[in-house]
Amino acid sequence: MKEKTKTMLKYLFGLGMLLLGLIFEGLGIGSPSFETFGSVGMWLIYIGLVSLLLATVRLVLKPKKRIIDERMEFVAAKAMRTTFVLFIMAAFAIMIIDGIQPIQVPMHLFMSYLVCFLLVAYFASYKLLLRRY
Amino acid sequence: MALSKNRLRKYREKAKMTQEALAEKARVTRQTIISIEGGKYVPSLELALRFSSIFRCKVEDLFAI
Repeated sequence: MKEKTKTMLKYLFGLGMLLLGLIFEGLGIGSPSFETFGSVGMWLIYIGLVSLLLATVRLVLKPKKRIIDERMEFVAAKAMRTTFVLFIMAAFAIMIIDGIQPIQVPMHLFMSYLVCFLLVAYFASYKLLLRRY
Repeated sequence: MALSKNRLRKYREKAKMTQEALAEKARVTRQTIISIEGGKYVPSLELALRFSSIFRCKVEDLFAI
């Protein structure tokens, strides 16, 4: 994908989130107390603003282009597979734990933890596999 | 799969090239060159062909299974 298209997609995502957040906030859709953000709309506005800020910073600073070679792509594919296996194992463990004692964590928090777990699992497996290959 | 013949280091040293210089010419990272020379990573056909064009030799002179 071309750099220009990537930047445009980033801006579109940011603007989309901002617009969605404003609609949610204006119509009062969603939970009125969504953790530290006040409401779902406010949270979407926050995501939109951060996305726009990041896209602008990247556009202005233009970070040095890093070489991504075939070994890195190979390791990334392996890390993706490892993360998938870890995800299945985690899902299995969660099912058992939930069976023993029902998990009381709210859905959005649970999903946040899950996304964080996946990111950490991918990063760790990528770094470990990079040493092996 | 491991390679039974890997003469990349030999050819590189013969050409008096550093790993850094070869990496730059082959458009890969130095770590990739280290991995290939150490036999940890098997290069793709495209990369092997790139090496053969850099050293002006046949691919089978560099690698064999």
